Amino acid sequence: MDDALLRVEKADFGYDGRAVVRGASLVVHPDEFVVLLGSNGSGKTTLMRGLLGFLAPLAGRLERRAGLRIGYVPQRETLDPLFPLSAQDVVQQGAWRDLPFWRFTGTREKARARESLALCRASDFARRRYATLSGGQRQRVLLARALATDPELLLLDEPTAGVDPETERSLLDLLHELRAARGLAVWMVTHHIHSIAGRTDRTVVVEDGQVSAEASP
Amino acid sequence: MSELFSPDSLFHNAILGGLGVALLCSMLGVYLMLRRLVLIGVALPQASAAGIAAVFWLTGHGHGGGGGTHGLALAGSLGATFGALTLLIAGRRRAGQPAEWSVGALYAISAAATILFVALNPKGDIEMAGLLRGELLALTAADLRLIAIVLVAVGALFVAFRRDLLLASFDPEFARTIGRSPLRYDALLYFLIGGSIAVGVMTAGPLVVFGFLVLPALAALRIAPSLAIAFAISAAVAATSFLGGFQLAYSADLPAGPVCVAMAAAFWLVIAAIAHLRPHRRAAGLALLLAVLAVPLGCADLHARAAARNAAPLPRGTLPDLAGRTVVVLPAANATGQPLHVPSNLFWKDLPHAIGDPFAASAPTVPMLLQQRASAELARRGIAVAPPAAVLDALPHPPDEPLAAARAAALAGFPGPVLTGRLSRFTVTNDGLLLVRLELWLIDPASEKVIWSGAARRPVAVNAALTAQEVLLDAGGPIFAEAFGAL
Repeated sequence: MDDALLRVEKADFGYDGRAVVRGASLVVHPDEFVVLLGSNGSGKTTLMRGLLGFLAPLAGRLERRAGLRIGYVPQRETLDPLFPLSAQDVVQQGAWRDLPFWRFTGTREKARARESLALCRASDFARRRYATLSGGQRQRVLLARALATDPELLLLDEPTAGVDPETERSLLDLLHELRAARGLAVWMVTHHIHSIAGRTDRTVVVEDGQVSAEASP
Repeated sequence: MSELFSPDSLFHNAILGGLGVALLCSMLGVYLMLRRLVLIGVALPQASAAGIAAVFWLTGHGHGGGGGTHGLALAGSLGATFGALTLLIAGRRRAGQPAEWSVGALYAISAAATILFVALNPKGDIEMAGLLRGELLALTAADLRLIAIVLVAVGALFVAFRRDLLLASFDPEFARTIGRSPLRYDALLYFLIGGSIAVGVMTAGPLVVFGFLVLPALAALRIAPSLAIAFAISAAVAATSFLGGFQLAYSADLPAGPVCVAMAAAFWLVIAAIAHLRPHRRAAGLALLLAVLAVPLGCADLHARAAARNAAPLPRGTLPDLAGRTVVVLPAANATGQPLHVPSNLFWKDLPHAIGDPFAASAPTVPMLLQQRASAELARRGIAVAPPAAVLDALPHPPDEPLAAARAAALAGFPGPVLTGRLSRFTVTNDGLLLVRLELWLIDPASEKVIWSGAARRPVAVNAALTAQEVLLDAGGPIFAEAFGAL
């Protein structure tokens, strides 16, 4: 599978046997910044769920490199603010990946969480309750949690939705820094074409269930 | 307070069992609240109650049936709870409709089914009372062991899979990306909830189960800065509410379940009010401090009032004036033809008898408990009595014939008048009536003459009593009121 982390060939993804994304062919390489672009309802989230392995291909093939570690950043609105969790608690969840059930969360996991918070410049609000954080702060916390899983591929579902332009810019800067520092592959779903112009290696456009890849200008 | 919670208390099993159920519900309640499954917390206990009512109707058993009845109740409770849970989960997956619709329908059907099964059961009235208040007072050592096993198993699974349960609840998609199956841990959570509700309803009734699933968790989530602290506060609120509520119910002669739930509600209201006024950490500390202080103070006040009420002297009735003399109360001669042994609340106390230990202390009998009650009733009428334990130590097997018993008491060093008697009937009917025939004689050992006699023959309603101890607790007052001529 050469150096590809993940390869999709003529795959259909969908729900209850009905394909939403059809004939998708993609390759995810290490150390690249890719944006999945598309309007609402175009199928980009379905494609993302397919890449994550939440949806098995209805047709075609999906190959992942053995032992591939994916860090996932969901849309922050999907998380329930009722849970009494601090930012540090949320980030620590990322460090639980390799922790067997009989072991308590130890110093190694806590240190990894602190390091991830620091990388995402979120240490200042680590002890604050997650539900009380602003949209931008929550996004940094979720990014830190994904980093705490020690990923090779970072998948982000609309991380810039609903944040102000300044926060959006600083998040994108942060993602570029992380990619440079860790050699991460970063794939990000968005429909804000203006904010990512000129800042990605590739743009994958999803429109009406059809996927087309094109080089970034 | 210490009397109620002592290991020899009649309520020992009820308190430990109820406390176990309260702790179970309070732990699971945190997840029910966080996952917005509170309606399931209403519907499942009701389905469990319907299962118990259905099994009792089908088998012709009732709550007071003893023996295998508890096994049947558990089977009905488990079957209905897990059946309902399976239907809810299957319905949710298939229909794509709001979960509340199915849960609401389940509650309505279960509530109606409970009432119908109870109405169809010939022992319906007793059944309804038993179902609503649970079986706390009838808990046997075996029931207690079952609750302990469930508590330990649920606690162990909770601790072992705490991270997976949290991930599956907070962010199932993220859980999948790090190799945890949310479906598997959802199933585990539902299994824990279903099992605990089934055992809890059989033990304490649907009201207590629902109350303790919801209220301690609500109180905890108002102030807890972390999930671990939420569990700790919820458990503390549940334990304090149950113990305080039980003490309050005992003192004020009220049903235990609703009082315990009302106590938990009071905690929630106090904590919610303080949390509204103050920032988190300070509110947590202050609310807990107030609650911890308020509950024992309130209980102590009610206990003191009840103690004062119980200590108020009763009219002497037909008893003679015995000023300055100490009455010796002997156990009545057992003429029922039955051994009338009273099993201990603590199974290990019966163990020496079960394995045939010849040196085991003699098991208590109904006449012995009646002797204790008669002594207390005489004392409440202003008559001095010799301590019943000292009398039994000195005279463990008094003669059955009254005059001979009085002579034996005098020889054993008790010179005062001797109250002795004959118990010729002691039977509890299926309708919850105690049929009793007790004749009493007060004999002056100096003159060897009967200076007073009385009898109790009226049936006493003991509907709520399910064990020999409870029968005696409920019936003792009316029996001696009749015998001493206060009726």
